[in-house]
Amino acid sequence: MNQSLITIAYIAASALFILSLGGLSQQSTARRGNLYGILGMLIALVATVFAMKDGNYAVLAAALIPGLVIGAILAARVQMTSMPELVAMLHSFVGLAAVLVGFATYLGPHKAMSSGEHTLHLVEIFLGVAIGSVTFTGSVIAFLKLRGTIGGKPFMLPGRHLINLIMLIATVALGAAFLMSPDTAAGQWPLIIATVLTGILGVHFIMAIGGADMPVVVSMLNSYSGWAAAAAGFMLGNDLLIITGALVGASGAILSYIMCQGMNRSFVSVMLGGFGTEGGTPSTATGEPQGEVHSVEAAGAAELLLDAKKIIIVPGYGLAVAQAQHSLAEVCKILKEKGVEIKFAIHPVAGRLPGHMNVLLAEANIPYDIVFEMDEVNDDFPTTDVAWVIGANDIVNPSAMDDPGSPIAGMPVLHVWESRTCIVMKRGMASGYAGVDNPLFYKDNTLMLFGDAKKVVDEILTAMRG
Amino acid sequence: MTTIGIPKEIHPGEKRVAATPQTILKLKKLGFDVVVESHAGHGINAIDSEYREAGATVIDGTKELWAASDVIMKVRPPEENKALGVHEADLLKEGATLIGFVWPAQHKDLLNRLAKRKATVFGMDCVPRITRAQKMDTLSAMANIAGYRAIIEAANHFPRFFTGQITAAGKIDPAKVLIIGAGVAGLSAIGAAKGLGAIVRAFDPRSATKDQVASMGAEFLDLDIKEKEEGEGKGGYAKQMSDDFLKAEMALFAAQAMQVDIIVTTALIPGKPAPKLITTGMVESMKPGSVIVDLAAEQGGNCALTEPGKIVHHKGVTIVGYTDLPSRMASMSSQLYGATIVALIADLSKEGILEINLDDEVVRGAIVLHDGKMMWPPPAPATPPTAAPPEPGVPTKSSAAVAAASTKKSGGHGHGESNGINPWVLAFGGLVLFGIGFLVPSEVKAAGGDTLSHLTVFILACFVGFQVVWSVKPALHTPLMSVTNAISGIILVGGMLQLVGTELSVTTILGAIAVLVAAINIAGGFLVTNRMLAMFRK
Repeated sequence: MNQSLITIAYIAASALFILSLGGLSQQSTARRGNLYGILGMLIALVATVFAMKDGNYAVLAAALIPGLVIGAILAARVQMTSMPELVAMLHSFVGLAAVLVGFATYLGPHKAMSSGEHTLHLVEIFLGVAIGSVTFTGSVIAFLKLRGTIGGKPFMLPGRHLINLIMLIATVALGAAFLMSPDTAAGQWPLIIATVLTGILGVHFIMAIGGADMPVVVSMLNSYSGWAAAAAGFMLGNDLLIITGALVGASGAILSYIMCQGMNRSFVSVMLGGFGTEGGTPSTATGEPQGEVHSVEAAGAAELLLDAKKIIIVPGYGLAVAQAQHSLAEVCKILKEKGVEIKFAIHPVAGRLPGHMNVLLAEANIPYDIVFEMDEVNDDFPTTDVAWVIGANDIVNPSAMDDPGSPIAGMPVLHVWESRTCIVMKRGMASGYAGVDNPLFYKDNTLMLFGDAKKVVDEILTAMRG
Repeated sequence: MTTIGIPKEIHPGEKRVAATPQTILKLKKLGFDVVVESHAGHGINAIDSEYREAGATVIDGTKELWAASDVIMKVRPPEENKALGVHEADLLKEGATLIGFVWPAQHKDLLNRLAKRKATVFGMDCVPRITRAQKMDTLSAMANIAGYRAIIEAANHFPRFFTGQITAAGKIDPAKVLIIGAGVAGLSAIGAAKGLGAIVRAFDPRSATKDQVASMGAEFLDLDIKEKEEGEGKGGYAKQMSDDFLKAEMALFAAQAMQVDIIVTTALIPGKPAPKLITTGMVESMKPGSVIVDLAAEQGGNCALTEPGKIVHHKGVTIVGYTDLPSRMASMSSQLYGATIVALIADLSKEGILEINLDDEVVRGAIVLHDGKMMWPPPAPATPPTAAPPEPGVPTKSSAAVAAASTKKSGGHGHGESNGINPWVLAFGGLVLFGIGFLVPSEVKAAGGDTLSHLTVFILACFVGFQVVWSVKPALHTPLMSVTNAISGIILVGGMLQLVGTELSVTTILGAIAVLVAAINIAGGFLVTNRMLAMFRK
């Protein structure tokens, strides 16, 4: 295949990727968007196979085919609730690949080029490896945090901003050393040290970001993986990689930005990390939310729900971990048959990924036209009989509005306490991911229903059928 | 001057007439002479003298009337006049015009007869359902009446109240009514049943009707299937649906039959026999005393037990198969029918002379025979105006925006459709980017301009990336992220380009690992996205 045919294939692939991203922004075109993406990838791969000069096809097959099979198995096996982890893990692979491609390019045979070009080429390699490394380790940490292997609380060393700064400066210095190196044998050491250092930077960076900000972090890492691919494109002089990488990088950044807007937090403050620790400490004086907790049993909750005319259900991560969405769908069906008006209220950061709740509810066949965004539904609470909070905490915390000293002050929340009765399902009285106590639990119109979400919803279902 | 003749309808039981004294006044105003057969208004309690007062000439004798008329306005299609032993089509003056219900698909023989008379025929049933022709939309006018009357007939046969009451003598449950098909008739039936106090549910395969059903105060029943299928065919009518859809639909009806007291079916597919939706088993599962009113009886009925024109009692359930519901409210339907026919002829004529302009969409749709020449069926009407399925090459935004305008009233997300950018435009932008990368003159590249052109491509691609996701719906954040993740697996290409030479160098090994992990990413990302998207349903 000659060069112009390959170019045409690359053009087609880029166009398909753009169509894919565009398609994914609308419900009606989303599935077609995914198909465009697959098609674009196929075209790109086939064209590159032909573009490999003197290619080692046996090695290619040995690496490509198992990779595709493993990916397919992972995708087929994953539970919908573990989706965030999978996405984070996949990001780490892109970062790893970028690092490897950087090293391979550096160690591999060089084209003859002028000294100016050579320096530029080295800068590109160094950048690609550094971004790839941050993406890799950062994604691994995000993956572990989402899995719960590492706690969700921000991990902070004293003077961490200074540490980050020092590491950054050290990386730049290593880069300079890398550029000065006379040959590859000498140059590989600064590169390797820089890789390790940026890797540590990635770990430290993500460790400091609290669990509640994880959706933004995953999206940001997504963006990084795009930049890493674009950097690889620069070092290989491959326009397809540059365009695709830039597309992913830019769209990931926008997505992060949109999410930060949903939380009314600035992008910078999320990135600097430490959610739940900045600002004043929770002011104990203005009413440490202590008081009597009213609780209710599943049977009582079932009765309350059946008697209601209008219910708003607020799902949170607890629903996802307990896999309670199917039982919940059954309960909704019964309530709907009784003529109860049901709405779902989704907070922009409910769950561990943006849109996480929508995916779960969709899995349980809950029609998406009764699922509303926070802004669409927040004014409805005063006319609602029962607000049913399932496994959510920070997103329904009134102190975000009432208490300026609260670490989550200013974050928009769902005003569940304005409804006549509020049933809150939780495993226990533990605080949420942000580590803040929730005065909602002590309000007079709040009834706590303790237990695993799946188990309790099942009990409610039994009570309703009985 | 053109003479319009109004014959007496001869179809057994037909009480309607094509003109009432009021519509005669309008015809006179348009400049026509009008002759009316004696006793034509019998069924609507309009006596001959009232027609005379309106300016019509009353003619005694059917043959005389047909012979005197240049234009015949009728309700029912022409048929054999048994009393005179002659077919109405043969009574029509040669070259004359006939306006009325024709149902050309079902009446091929009749059309042949009329063609022999060199007749020009307009079918009131063929008037296209477009906005401009609404005033001539006889079918809607009649369906409105039929829907209302269907509930009245049901109430007549239903042994209970429609409204629920709590009285000193005990509690009375409200009647539950299921309306199948939310066309004009269905919506009218919903209104009538609601007005009587029943609990009303409705089903229709066309999702566009959902808001209309809700606006009438009924509950819209959704099907429990994952793949949503759009039931709207051309011209706003329902179309025939897939097997899966039908299966789910039947399951819904079976479940509903056990719950509801009254079912009104209005399901018709143009040019086909009515679909059988209510089986014998479903009828038998209904509570004793329940009533089914089958508005599709004339086309064979939606219920397996329907007998057109009759009332059937089956195991305690009454099935009303009347085909003449509008005729049972003859003065009202004649008035509406007459008004629509006046609207059509006003469009067709100038100062009492017919002028047939075949370029006019309404005329072209309504005309069946032109001087004996077959004009039916007309060229296909345009696709339905609302919520057209997006077609390749058509910007997705336009259809989404129309759907949003018609179905969604809430403001939605901040960067809603207003910011939606046509992905095809962006794709074109992508091509331009590539052009820049490849068309930079070689002497510039030699001077280090290669990196410069890469940089240009990079920056422009960033802009495309920024634009393309701005309008994303929050519910799609996760799938979008997952698909961008899959696409960032393009780094695979970088790995592949390292696999050079036959021996296993460090470069090759590193490249191979890169290919491996990137391939995991690609397969995993796309498949997981697909899984997620497959779950979304409305």
